Amino acid sequence: MHYECIPTTCTYCGCGCLVVLQVLDGHLVGVLPGKTNPVNEGSLCIKGWTSHEFVYSEKRLKNPLVKKNGVFVETSWEDALDTVARNLKKIKEESGADSIAALASAKCTNEENYLMQKLMRATIGTNNIDHCARL
Amino acid sequence: MESSSRFEPKIIAFCCNWCSYAGADLAGGMRLKYSANIIPIRVMCSARVSPHFIIRAFQEGADGVLVAGCHIGDCHYLKGNYIAIKRVAILRDLIDFLGISKERLRLEWIAGSEGDKYARVADEFTEKVRSLGPSPIKRIPFREKAVAMVR
Amino acid sequence: MNRLARELVHRMEALKNKVNELLESGGIAGFLGLRNFGTEPFPFLFTRDTAAEVDKITTGAVRYPLSKILIRIAAVYPDAIFGIMCRACDERAIIELCKNSKLRSDKVITIGISCTDDLVQACKCENPQPSNLVSGEAGKKEFDRSDVQKIASMTLEQRFDFWTEQLGKCIKCYGCRNICPVCFCDVCTLEDQPLVKRGEIPPELPSFHLTRAYHMAGRCVDCGLCEEACPVDIPLRTLYRRVRESVKELLDYLPGEERDKVPPIQVLGDGLFEIRD
Repeated sequence: MHYECIPTTCTYCGCGCLVVLQVLDGHLVGVLPGKTNPVNEGSLCIKGWTSHEFVYSEKRLKNPLVKKNGVFVETSWEDALDTVARNLKKIKEESGADSIAALASAKCTNEENYLMQKLMRATIGTNNIDHCARL
Repeated sequence: MESSSRFEPKIIAFCCNWCSYAGADLAGGMRLKYSANIIPIRVMCSARVSPHFIIRAFQEGADGVLVAGCHIGDCHYLKGNYIAIKRVAILRDLIDFLGISKERLRLEWIAGSEGDKYARVADEFTEKVRSLGPSPIKRIPFREKAVAMVR
Repeated sequence: MNRLARELVHRMEALKNKVNELLESGGIAGFLGLRNFGTEPFPFLFTRDTAAEVDKITTGAVRYPLSKILIRIAAVYPDAIFGIMCRACDERAIIELCKNSKLRSDKVITIGISCTDDLVQACKCENPQPSNLVSGEAGKKEFDRSDVQKIASMTLEQRFDFWTEQLGKCIKCYGCRNICPVCFCDVCTLEDQPLVKRGEIPPELPSFHLTRAYHMAGRCVDCGLCEEACPVDIPLRTLYRRVRESVKELLDYLPGEERDKVPPIQVLGDGLFEIRD
């Protein structure tokens, strides 16, 4: 019998509300808003209140998927990364670097978003980088 | 003409099958004339009228809601009308607090033999709601915009 | 150290001793209270296995809906007896939850924590006096219904415009419903499709909030957590307080007041309740 509350930051938007994860016997059962946090001051939006629900979702991917003959097929990480690298190289050679664009995500950390723009600007060689918050 | 510009309230009447709907039917049988503004909806008992029905009626634009049941002690299901009393009483206070006059919601006991009472209540209530004017819910701005979009 | 600080320290020590005593005696399987995680208090279940954590127990100046958390834990461990830290509002909620069979009164031991004077002033609930006080005195009653009075004294049109503006701010976060200790339904009307349409912000006015307010009849214990959780500061507590007053006036029932009084709303009509009109 073990119940505890672990404070963390909500994974969704850039506000960074304090979400308190309720863990009962090692299983995530719900969230509460952090009452003392100056960002959210005891409130959450609907995404924050349901931010625990995706954790155990059956729809979560367990393995990378690659499209083969128009159908998504499970594959290994090596195969998936090779496919992406090979195709991006091909597109860059055929149509130029500016034909590739990337959308970063508010659900990623700042560091991950930094890596994404570095990948686009330094490796692929284009300025076509944007963020879902601008949509 | 005066009648074409006069506000015609729309009143939903939830009538219990055994008493008040029979009363309404008798009013018709007696060829009584009464306001056409009242729209009866037959339910088996006044207890069937969930507060959600009343809330829905107001939300959809009803200017008044009448809940009609059997007289106390005469309910076909013995105690249904007691439930209706509690529900309507609480809801009246609540809508009044939200700015919808409590006079727009009324509870009446109408027996199967009281066709004349049904006609009288219909007339009285229609005039009362007419004097109160259209339901304020129709004033909510986005609702009008939404309705205009649908049209 | 001033008087208030001394009182709080004393209360903390008394609570620590009480919890340790209950855990050691085996009287309870666990105690649901607040624990300092770093510097901030968060809910925690203190058990014999985690007895070392009792050192970090705190009464906290913030409130989490402990009674609601207890429902979940008790559902998994129905035969265990739990202790719970209770302010007066938590205790009222537990009384109502027991009446609705969400908790069993013989499986819950409440340990009362009184609210400090400044908290009582800020909250102004009807009765800030929990039973089983662990130490000190309960706060003096500072019940103030001026928030309801202010709106009740407006004209009908003013009230309607006021509520249209206030309820129009709603972003449908369901925070009021999620945090409410007496909102315990497994299937919630407010999530019923197509009654409440997906994606419609603000939700249909005023039926969404009117529905919730009606559901609070005979249940709301005036804890104020709803207003605290609302991100757009809708005066929800005032609305539900009015419902509470109505139920008191019409049916002579105040949720959480009496342990043995049957809630009038959930009981089928039996002629016992007369409306004073």
